[in-house]
Amino acid sequence: MLTAPNLISVGIAALLTAGLYAVMSYGLAIIYGVMKVINLSHAGFLMLGAFMTLVYFQRWHLDPLLGALLNLPVFFAAGWVLYAVLVRRVMTSLPIASLLLLFALWLVLQNVALAIWGSEDQSIITAYTYKALPVLGFRIPLTRLLVFGVALATLGVLHFVLGHTYVGKALRATVQDPQAGVLVGIDTERISAVAFGLGTAFAAFAGSLLTLLFSFTPDFGGPFQLKSFTIIVLGGLENFAGVTVGAAILSFVESYAVLFMKASLQNVIAYALLVVALIVMPGGVAQLWTRSRS
Amino acid sequence: MQRWLLRGAALAIPALLLTLATAGQPATMPEIKIGTVLPLTGAFGASGNYFKQGYTMAIDDVNKAGGLAVGGQKYQVSLTVLDDGSDGTRSRSLVEKLVTDQHVNFLLGGYDTSLVEAQEVVPDQYKIPYVEGGGAASEIFKRGYKYVFGTLATVYDMGKITMDFIAYEISQGKLPKPVSLAVVWENTDHGKDYINAVLDQAKAHPDLFKVVLNQSFQLNGSDFSPLLQQVKASNATVFLSDAHLPDFITMHRQYLQAGMHHELVSYGARGPDQKGRQALGPGADYLIAALWWTPALKDPASQLFTDRYTKEYHAVPDWFQALSYDTARVLLQAIRNAGTLQGPAVRDALARGVFRNALVPGGVIRFGPNGQIAGSPYVMVQNMPGNTVRIVWPRKLPETRDAILPMPRMQ
Repeated sequence: MLTAPNLISVGIAALLTAGLYAVMSYGLAIIYGVMKVINLSHAGFLMLGAFMTLVYFQRWHLDPLLGALLNLPVFFAAGWVLYAVLVRRVMTSLPIASLLLLFALWLVLQNVALAIWGSEDQSIITAYTYKALPVLGFRIPLTRLLVFGVALATLGVLHFVLGHTYVGKALRATVQDPQAGVLVGIDTERISAVAFGLGTAFAAFAGSLLTLLFSFTPDFGGPFQLKSFTIIVLGGLENFAGVTVGAAILSFVESYAVLFMKASLQNVIAYALLVVALIVMPGGVAQLWTRSRS
Repeated sequence: MQRWLLRGAALAIPALLLTLATAGQPATMPEIKIGTVLPLTGAFGASGNYFKQGYTMAIDDVNKAGGLAVGGQKYQVSLTVLDDGSDGTRSRSLVEKLVTDQHVNFLLGGYDTSLVEAQEVVPDQYKIPYVEGGGAASEIFKRGYKYVFGTLATVYDMGKITMDFIAYEISQGKLPKPVSLAVVWENTDHGKDYINAVLDQAKAHPDLFKVVLNQSFQLNGSDFSPLLQQVKASNATVFLSDAHLPDFITMHRQYLQAGMHHELVSYGARGPDQKGRQALGPGADYLIAALWWTPALKDPASQLFTDRYTKEYHAVPDWFQALSYDTARVLLQAIRNAGTLQGPAVRDALARGVFRNALVPGGVIRFGPNGQIAGSPYVMVQNMPGNTVRIVWPRKLPETRDAILPMPRMQ
């Protein structure tokens, strides 16, 4: 069905999904950028963020968008504590140690959620869950529009914090050259704790936003973690602006591919893009920018 | 001599004390061990737990009545449940573990089709009868296993009865003739059965049906919005989807969020599930589903089961609990009929038995030569506001009412 309205409609849906993909990948990018650690517990915090949003919603009738904001300080603190108690101890070990530790943490989080909330599908229905806005003849789901708006706002805030605050500049400096960072007086230990806290907070924040679109169980988050990883590889691993571009690439490829292939192969696209990116451009789109500038 | 006497006394006194201690107590009842591997966690966790409830209820019935009488001897029945986490490989190895480590006498099946397909290789190896009510794909019964029996009518029949219902609604003028169909199906044997039935019916009745979209999707998918975009673009009148519970919830939520609407929407057997209705709220109203059982059935056995389950679990039962209850009862009845715990004898009792007073529509379970239930006991229901359902097909049931079609657009 390659008609113009269908192609435009698919494009709008892809753009909105890109916002969602970007916001769920920032946390992974921050942690990898500063600590060079792949946070395999990212999915666990996405899931826990979703369940905490459910708790706020059920106990205090707190809207998921406000729940997402509440999750930021709560999970920043949780991430900081986890870094101090667990992650810090394996930072100087081989990379496999941190991988195993964080994978184990994901399993623990899953089982804790299972013990508390059981294995049944949970969902949050708000007054606007099923609302759609007519825009230029296309009906756009309000929830997707909200998530997209929040993703843009988050990107703006992140850009401001990274560019105009001491913590942000210290984070960027550590990403670029940790040793030089130490030489100019940056407390890299503290910055790593901030990075892990921020990464955890962003994961939980994204988990809250996902409750607007999906139902969830303790197993929730696995496919999104794979997509987040693909996105940060496409974006260039240490480049926060690249994350947004990576999210857009994945979303547009996934959405338009369904026009030409079976929808059951949708997840294969993420795997294929990951393999292609690692072989053809391991530095992601950031590498292409650098090449074009030089 | 004195030493011999002392030794004899040392052995005899404890034996005497033991005899005195147990005198007056009833002899311990011998035990029949039944094992099952269910997805208590993972993607199918909710359904797996419902199956556990149904199995437990059936076994509790027997134990509370003083045990199961087999060949003149009463047996206590125990149920061992292991969790496969919705993983096929784990499921198969745990079933084997039940047989080799736990030495179970009989097996009850898991849920869903993919996990039953993983499990079904074990029973024939050990000649242990296996009765399942969680897998309905016809592929399960095409592999020639002799010890595998299923109480669910095939998914092919589900697709066929759905098309029969649509044809009836066309004849009543509630749907246009020919009606255009957008069909999406999970890429499993379950989904393949469904799409084959739909395509066969469309081919047989080109004057009634026109399939304008035929797409598969991945089981346990995370985002169906690109697929739904294609459904929307197809401009079909009817939307049919064969999906399991988690995919149904995600897909229909995204369907509603996209502001989509069709004159008839059906997700195979999904829709009236309590979990689905809780997750989707009024968004699940007016959906049409083909079910193996529903609490809306007014026969005494179904009403009794609904009342008892509601009292015990403070919830309304779905087909999961009813069919698992039936499945366990069929196995227990077959053991009783066989009069022995020998696997081959119980297998034969299952193969030739006629199990009456079942909950399935029609009330009778008997198995075909391939082990799958004979006939196609299905009812079609429509979700109504206020978490109720009405039976809309077959017309011959006294409780059947007219379907509300075209489905009202959600406000």
